[in-house]
Amino acid sequence: MKKSIFYILLLILTFSACEKDDICLLPNTPKLVLRFYDVSDTTSKKDVTFLSIWADGKDTLSNYKSVTLDSIAIPLNVNTTETVYHFKMNNTTGNSIDNKFNKITLTYNPEEVYVSRSCGFKTIFNNVIITSDNGWIQSFTPSTLITIDNETAAHVQIFH
Amino acid sequence: MKPQRMYKYFISFCFVFLVAKSVAQENLKDSIKYKSPYGLRIGVDISKPILGLTGSDYSGFEIVGDYRISKNLYIATELGVEENTSVEDYTNSTAKGSYLKVGINFNAYKNWLDMNNEIFLGFRYALSVFDQTLNSYTTNTGTNYFLGNLITTPTATNGLIAHWTEFVFGLKVETFKNVFIGASFSYKILLSIQHPDNFKTLYVPGFNRVFESETGFGFNYTISYTIPFFKK
Repeated sequence: MKKSIFYILLLILTFSACEKDDICLLPNTPKLVLRFYDVSDTTSKKDVTFLSIWADGKDTLSNYKSVTLDSIAIPLNVNTTETVYHFKMNNTTGNSIDNKFNKITLTYNPEEVYVSRSCGFKTIFNNVIITSDNGWIQSFTPSTLITIDNETAAHVQIFH
Repeated sequence: MKPQRMYKYFISFCFVFLVAKSVAQENLKDSIKYKSPYGLRIGVDISKPILGLTGSDYSGFEIVGDYRISKNLYIATELGVEENTSVEDYTNSTAKGSYLKVGINFNAYKNWLDMNNEIFLGFRYALSVFDQTLNSYTTNTGTNYFLGNLITTPTATNGLIAHWTEFVFGLKVETFKNVFIGASFSYKILLSIQHPDNFKTLYVPGFNRVFESETGFGFNYTISYTIPFFKK
């Protein structure tokens, strides 16, 4: 009788092995955050209408297909040192004849930083240089960034 | 006889029996004294080789031992080697090394007659020296638009040290003479741990998985044999 209690306890110990699975809740690779302002009043935000965004040689970003927004967050390619984005907008009816284009090129040095067990490694971008081909975007600031390591605030202000 | 007197008579009669019975028991206790063996008990953790056979991510071996120093106290130790691969969503890393644990077990179980079973509480100090190798990883880009490349160049960091304390709860059952099977559960709290540069130690031999709170859990299932030195 006494021994059977031992065996029952032994059995409970056998099947009580548990492990907590944590999910990634920490910030990982930051996106580039752009905010659009009115070129004639540089303190007020201005929506971009019918905005579509795609990287060189890739499909349009699914979040940014003919949308009207005043700020966007776009990913950068972690495997190269350059990402080229195309910004298409249309400030009238959306007819393709009125489409306006702008190309923005970003060069940077990617750096891998360990985050946690569930998040793995993220990439931060150092020595970022931003250039534009001056389409519908009239100016932007800043044109260089020391690092992009978070997405809590806008990195670049764009005037149009 | 009046009823009251009869009660008195019965009560005192019962009392006499009660006293007589307890005196008799004391005599019994004194006359037969069960001696229990003192000696060195050594064994192996059987769960580790079994885990090693069933999964390719793990191999390990542990020797356990204890020495009885008083009626309820044992000096206990565990010595082992382990290799474990932690497969995570974005990283794959292997920890390999050896460990030593030293401490005491307190037997909280009162045995019947000549039985030598234990339900024990224990405390350990443990030290592990290990290597941590990041086998492969993929950068977590947080997007499907640009996926990270799978990097398969291993990065090894050798001679990392971790030490910790353990609280143990377990039991041991004497199944045959001097042969014990046991199981125990341990809760571990890290005192210090070394991490590789720009990476983290996810597993420590002897400690098992390192949780965010720098705590861990462990189980072991042992078969051990007591080499009796004397009886007391």
